[in-house]
Amino acid sequence: MSNTMTSASRRPTARDENWKYANLRALERVPFEDPTTAAVVLAEPTSAQTTLDDIALPARQAKLRVVLVDGVLNLALSDPLPDTVQIKPARQQTLETAGISSIDRYFFALNQRRRQQTLELRVAAATQLELEILCIARSVAQPALELHLAADSRLRLIERHLSAETSTGTADSATNLAIEIKLAKRARLDWLRWHRLAGKARHIETLDLELSEAADCELVQLTTGQSTTDTVSSRSTAFVRHNGAAHLRWNVAALADGSQSHDAYVHIEHAAPGAHTEQVFRGIASGRGRLGFNGHMRVNADAIGTRSEQSLKSLLAGGEAEANVRPQLEIYTDAVSASHGATVGKLDTDMLFYLLSRGIEPATAESLLKWAFISDVLARLSDSDLRHEIEASLVSQLPGAIAARGQS
Amino acid sequence: MLEIKDLRTKVGDREVLRGLNLAVRPGEVHAIMGPNGSGKSTLAYTLAGRPGYEVSGGSVAYRGKDLLGLAPEERAQAGVFLGFQYPVEIPGVNNVYLLKAALNAARKHRGLPEVDAFEFLTLVRDKMKLMQMDESFLSRGVNEGFSGGEKKRNEILQMLVLEPTLALLDETDSGLDIDALKIVAHGVNTLRSAERAIVLVTHYQRLLDYIKPDHVHVLARGQIIKSGAPELALELEERGYDWLLGEAA
Repeated sequence: MSNTMTSASRRPTARDENWKYANLRALERVPFEDPTTAAVVLAEPTSAQTTLDDIALPARQAKLRVVLVDGVLNLALSDPLPDTVQIKPARQQTLETAGISSIDRYFFALNQRRRQQTLELRVAAATQLELEILCIARSVAQPALELHLAADSRLRLIERHLSAETSTGTADSATNLAIEIKLAKRARLDWLRWHRLAGKARHIETLDLELSEAADCELVQLTTGQSTTDTVSSRSTAFVRHNGAAHLRWNVAALADGSQSHDAYVHIEHAAPGAHTEQVFRGIASGRGRLGFNGHMRVNADAIGTRSEQSLKSLLAGGEAEANVRPQLEIYTDAVSASHGATVGKLDTDMLFYLLSRGIEPATAESLLKWAFISDVLARLSDSDLRHEIEASLVSQLPGAIAARGQS
Repeated sequence: MLEIKDLRTKVGDREVLRGLNLAVRPGEVHAIMGPNGSGKSTLAYTLAGRPGYEVSGGSVAYRGKDLLGLAPEERAQAGVFLGFQYPVEIPGVNNVYLLKAALNAARKHRGLPEVDAFEFLTLVRDKMKLMQMDESFLSRGVNEGFSGGEKKRNEILQMLVLEPTLALLDETDSGLDIDALKIVAHGVNTLRSAERAIVLVTHYQRLLDYIKPDHVHVLARGQIIKSGAPELALELEERGYDWLLGEAA
């Protein structure tokens, strides 16, 4: 089905099934539609852009780094672009997606209408590339990324979302991100996504991922606030489609502390025989934090031999915390192997007592167990430097746990 | 070192310990035996401060202080160690960290500085050799994927590193084959000293072939119903508990 969006698409509300747990109120007053709100509007990027002295860039994690500030490429902060990376003016897209409500694509359509440019990357056949994309949000941003991995190519992509610290404090930013990724045959994507939102940052995103025959994608995603006092909210909507016997590992961890809110809807469509999806979600809601994760697995009638495994778990670590995890299976053939498990629970009292009985202080013991809870996802990170940086960043949420890993 | 007087513990609505008395002096090894459901594990958990084990009466003095008034971690820091019958697996928290954090907590309690990293690893490696454990155990999650025997060895390793003043070993012998039993017993024996006391909770006499107790007690219906010399364990092995239960009734 053609899913070209029209402006008639309705904004989602909490009454819409896939948006029940999203913090839509936080997005209500964001002027995404208003073209005059963008802080920096550039038809063409130029090297004359000023450096952002007040933005402390994190240590580089890949050979090639590009920096987007409020959705626009900043050449001064980015490495010189190779031919494979291009900046294109915004244009309309047509995507083939089955069973997707136009409401779920409302924000994508909005991005298409209001994006200022599209960062397009092509990884040539049988080549390898390492790329870090740093998205810094200061005000209203609608970044757009398109990645094409040709046959037998390999991309290690690190995508980071930060809220800028400014002289007047942390910006009250709002981002509406759109990402489209296509993997050709046997292409491989190692994809780290790290949202570290600060202040009152609001982040909404729509991801489209298509996998061809024998393609392989491993995602490791971590969504947190920068500190427990930040009142950030995020919503991630993803549409994945297996067009061949591809392999997808979708590993997501989210921490909602204080009054933070993180919600995700992931629609994975098996549209060809023999594809394999492994999905792991680990979320911890503390204080009055809210978490949602809806893993919607669709297996089409001709997708025989599909394998899908879902393990979705949330931990409630606060009296007023809330978590909703939901595996959703929509299967139109018998020849599949699909398993799913979903739990929402509290800290394991046996584990807690074991640690206490070894003299560990209760606060440390609790944070160790929280750490252990998300370690299923973080352990998937193969890059130790990056893992250490992530671990160090979690110190405010999980004090004591960092040392635990540091000794390992 | 340990003076338990008329201890009563409830688990849920059920009173499991019903006026238990026991005195343990430094340097002694006590074996507590008894039939299933007699309250052996409840005693160990009560002394370690496990939530859900509610003390409804009596007192426990540990080195002259009220043990029951301490939180579980404070008891551990003060030198009380519980070797679990069923050690839990904690994937994601690695063994070496737990050992180091536990050791430092105890050192802090004693007013000592944190252990030096090199010193610590040397200490742990020595103890692991004693327990015939592979070094790969250190980098694994706590008890993660360990066999029953490995878990028990890990408990004893922790005990050897922490050097507690009072060790409570809850059925440390259960699930061990004879070779593992010897290793575990050897580990326990190396800890015996004039300043320490060990309380072994066990079902079977065979552990006592390798760890010679000074006193043997029979716990039944929530009370110590008989105490005696090590030979009592042999008699129990031969005659079972029924004759004692009859006497006590």
